[in-house]
Amino acid sequence: MKGRLAIFAAVWCGMAFGSAVAGEKGSASGPSPSLPDDYSCKVCHWKDGELWNQETPTVSESELADDIHWQVGLRCHDCHGGAPSIEDYENHRTDESFHAIASPADIPGFCGRCHSKIEYMRRYTPSARTDQETEYWTSGHGQRLKESLEEKKVDKDVATCVDCHGRHGILAVNDPRSPVYPTHVGETCARCHSDEKRMAGRTYHGRPLGHDQYEQWQQSVHGQALLKKGDLSAPTCNDCHGNHGAVPPGIDSVANACGSCHAKQAELFSEARMKHRFEEIGLPGCVTCHGNHRIVQPTDEMLGMAKSAVCSRCHSPENEQYGAPLAGGEAAAAMRKAMEDLKQQIAEAQAKLAEADRLGMEVSGPRYDLRQAVDALTNARSLIHSFSLDRVQKALKEGLDVATNVNKRAEDALREHTYRRIWLAVSLVPILLVVTLLILYIRTLPIPEPTSPHEADR
Amino acid sequence: MDTDPGSSSRRRWLLHSLQASFAATVAAICYPVLRFLRPRPATVSGAMEVVAPFRVNQLPNAPGNPFNFGGKPCLVVLTPEGEKRLARGERLQPGDIRAFNAICTHMDCTVHYRPDHGDIFCSCHNGVYDLNGHNVSGPPPRPLETYKVTLRGSPGQEEIVVSRTS
Amino acid sequence: MSLAPVSAQGEKASWKQRLKAFFVERLGLEAVQSLAAKKTVPLHRCTPFYFLGGMALFLFLVQIVSGILLALYYKPSPDQAFESVRAIMTEVEFGWLIRSAHSWSANLLIGILFLHLLTTYMMRAYRRPREITWITGVLLLALFMAFGFSGYLLPWNQLAFFATRVGTAIVGVVPGIGHSLLLLARGGEEVTGDTLARFYAIHVVVLPLVTFVVLGIHLYLVQKHGMSIPERELARYGGPERVPSMPFVPHFLLRDIVGWYLALALLAALAALFPWELGEKADPFGAAPEGIKPEWYFLFMYQTLKLLPPYIAGFEGEVLGVLFFGLCGLVVLVVPFLDRGPRSRAVLNGLAAVAVAFFVVMTAWAFFPNPEQKVACIMLGTLLSFVSLTLLVPFADQRTPAYRLLIGLLGLLGLIFVGAAVWELIA
Repeated sequence: MKGRLAIFAAVWCGMAFGSAVAGEKGSASGPSPSLPDDYSCKVCHWKDGELWNQETPTVSESELADDIHWQVGLRCHDCHGGAPSIEDYENHRTDESFHAIASPADIPGFCGRCHSKIEYMRRYTPSARTDQETEYWTSGHGQRLKESLEEKKVDKDVATCVDCHGRHGILAVNDPRSPVYPTHVGETCARCHSDEKRMAGRTYHGRPLGHDQYEQWQQSVHGQALLKKGDLSAPTCNDCHGNHGAVPPGIDSVANACGSCHAKQAELFSEARMKHRFEEIGLPGCVTCHGNHRIVQPTDEMLGMAKSAVCSRCHSPENEQYGAPLAGGEAAAAMRKAMEDLKQQIAEAQAKLAEADRLGMEVSGPRYDLRQAVDALTNARSLIHSFSLDRVQKALKEGLDVATNVNKRAEDALREHTYRRIWLAVSLVPILLVVTLLILYIRTLPIPEPTSPHEADR
Repeated sequence: MDTDPGSSSRRRWLLHSLQASFAATVAAICYPVLRFLRPRPATVSGAMEVVAPFRVNQLPNAPGNPFNFGGKPCLVVLTPEGEKRLARGERLQPGDIRAFNAICTHMDCTVHYRPDHGDIFCSCHNGVYDLNGHNVSGPPPRPLETYKVTLRGSPGQEEIVVSRTS
Repeated sequence: MSLAPVSAQGEKASWKQRLKAFFVERLGLEAVQSLAAKKTVPLHRCTPFYFLGGMALFLFLVQIVSGILLALYYKPSPDQAFESVRAIMTEVEFGWLIRSAHSWSANLLIGILFLHLLTTYMMRAYRRPREITWITGVLLLALFMAFGFSGYLLPWNQLAFFATRVGTAIVGVVPGIGHSLLLLARGGEEVTGDTLARFYAIHVVVLPLVTFVVLGIHLYLVQKHGMSIPERELARYGGPERVPSMPFVPHFLLRDIVGWYLALALLAALAALFPWELGEKADPFGAAPEGIKPEWYFLFMYQTLKLLPPYIAGFEGEVLGVLFFGLCGLVVLVVPFLDRGPRSRAVLNGLAAVAVAFFVVMTAWAFFPNPEQKVACIMLGTLLSFVSLTLLVPFADQRTPAYRLLIGLLGLLGLIFVGAAVWELIA
């Protein structure tokens, strides 16, 4: 090694010679201050470094420019350890202060050295979280990594920090270009989870992992809201599975995952008898009816006992499952019926209001009130999750009363319009009377013949 | 022809009935015009301002809140500071009473005020707005539309006049 | 107005007479009275055409009254224009009637003016010394079209907004000064609230003032020169003094009033049965809605500009179209000076016939642009042609080939119309 060091020293002398040029080059490369000339890593890991060769992994300043760590002033040695200046340089393999990454299993600890230390992290952000590493080891990824470590055969396909966040050039998580920004999370997870080969043979708690989750989620109401409408509040992978501690939610926790946004439905469901029955049987909440990754916009078709309805999957005499009572099916059918009644009333009222509007009648009052009926319908749709016919019917009844009333007022407005026509006809009477009388009167007035006696010509 | 007495009397009759029906048509024209000139009711759709159907002392749980303002629900909120001032019998300050378009910017549900949380809440997807109408948590993508509030009348009994800012 | 000579009827009549005398003496109404007594209207085959001017005047009065009423509630700002018109339609009592009457009578007025122009042309009433009367008349038509164009935007609805955008853009293609004209018309690069304010000011201040002046000159000249009698009628009776006539007051006036009352009835019926639609509020940043169309009297220009290819012999089609219509307007304006003898008259008549046919075809086409509406298009076209051809009837002598041809054509048009109507009903 001594020989190499000597070469190194010679090279360094040469470099000192052309330091002015190098310094200029560095200052022109970007907004962040470039590395000092005697920065040890540069010599081998810069592509134009003096001792670089084909086998040495490289990184360039331009790759690092957007890195959040680089931007706050951290340099290679702050993460990788070792001596920053060539003078103090020692071989990686013997240098105690160098943090080697021998396998993916070393990465969580590598990042965690700073990210798990609140005293350190506070310097950069006052409310930093430092539980990512701990969380990671509880995640499906972390567990598998740990397991493989114990087997002494590190599973290199398991995701660690860098697989999602990137290696060099790690962007801040709120940077829209970041792979973990809400709009990109799906693709990022899909890099592995949609890879059929990589997912083959993998299981979680005995169940195969599958590889179509991303594809399904893209078609879901959530995926559409996020990807098409750009609604950043729409959930992507990590909103249900967690991020650093990513695992599929368990049967008993699915409802809580959904309930973090769909609070009202979750609350109603948690009080429903159905929930306890589901738990007894081992059916997950929410998912049993709505599906998991491909959750489409729920429709009223899902309710009731028709073929398309989810209730009929268990509560019908044809395919009775899990001891589901047939009475439940009747209740579902009754709910659906009441709901359709209200919808029909609302549609009728809307059509009549539109017609009245078109005819120039004032219907903004009833139109405003109709909002209540629509709200009642929305309310009833969430109340379905209580699985209580009484509650649903009560809500629908309120809406129905409003809608019926609006319907009546819209009809009144239309009738009023008819009256207008009648009154018009009445007002035409004097006008036409005047016309008739005028014509009669004109006929009594002969045209005087002042000068021209040539009537005979006509 | 005026020599014929029958024709002359017929003409007089014609003239009279003509005058009468002429007067009738004038009335038929003037009646709608006069009705048109009559002031219209104060609460109107698309109006730039409207008086809330309750007074400040009925807040925060006033009946009829939110109310119809130009076809959209308008939510009037009495801030906690305002509530304290009202309880002490002091005069309300500007900003103690605020008014919002109560349609949630996420999915058009109607939002409501939660006095115990001091926020405006949408129960459809747990959207939360602060009392400036800013969306602070949950899915709402935009703040609520705010209206200008003017109070008039004797202290504690003021009428609340809500108007569009534009 | 005096419907009949006031007969002495004791106290009441003498009171009336004294009041009348009071005003006659103080206002110098004798001049008016003697003028009214002397004024006569010639009686001949074309006399019905004399009613058109009075009818237009009456509709203009309706416009003034209803327009003033609407101005009481209308607010010319982009935030409030649409809302205020909606409030007029829905909240103000009888607002729907007033607004519909205003819109319908505007359209009737333009229609009547077209007929007035056409019949005046056919009677060659622009002959010396009535050239200025003709010119002021054409100017009035242009003014009323400008009224229509500026008024169309005021409700600030989608259709109006985009039609105005298209309409003002057409101004912009005039070579050289186009862009400046566009800026002047819009009050900016785009149609904005400033455009609305501009159009409002033009509609309620500028145009009425100009119209009053031009109309004043027009009416004065009509009074001064009296009614023009077509040459054919003069020849038939052998001299202007031998043409029979009736006194203006009360004979012609009463007949005029019959017409006005019929127009009033028509207006009321249209307003009540087909209230003018409000549409949706203009969304300047939204996409243009389907089927934006100007008012019907601009349709022929709109359709032509739409049909023109983008380039004709190296010139932009639109530019040529706009210049062409400008030229047409100019030709119509100076018709009295172009008519210099039988030959130029024949050319003019040919051009007029082509122009009317062009107007009819293009309007019908633009009104029903869809291929499925072909039958409706044909019905409208035949109806319009029928109306314009009917105007020719008084000019043809009975039992001449021309007369037979005219009647034959009218019959054919009627047959096509009835046939199309029957077809539409069956299909």
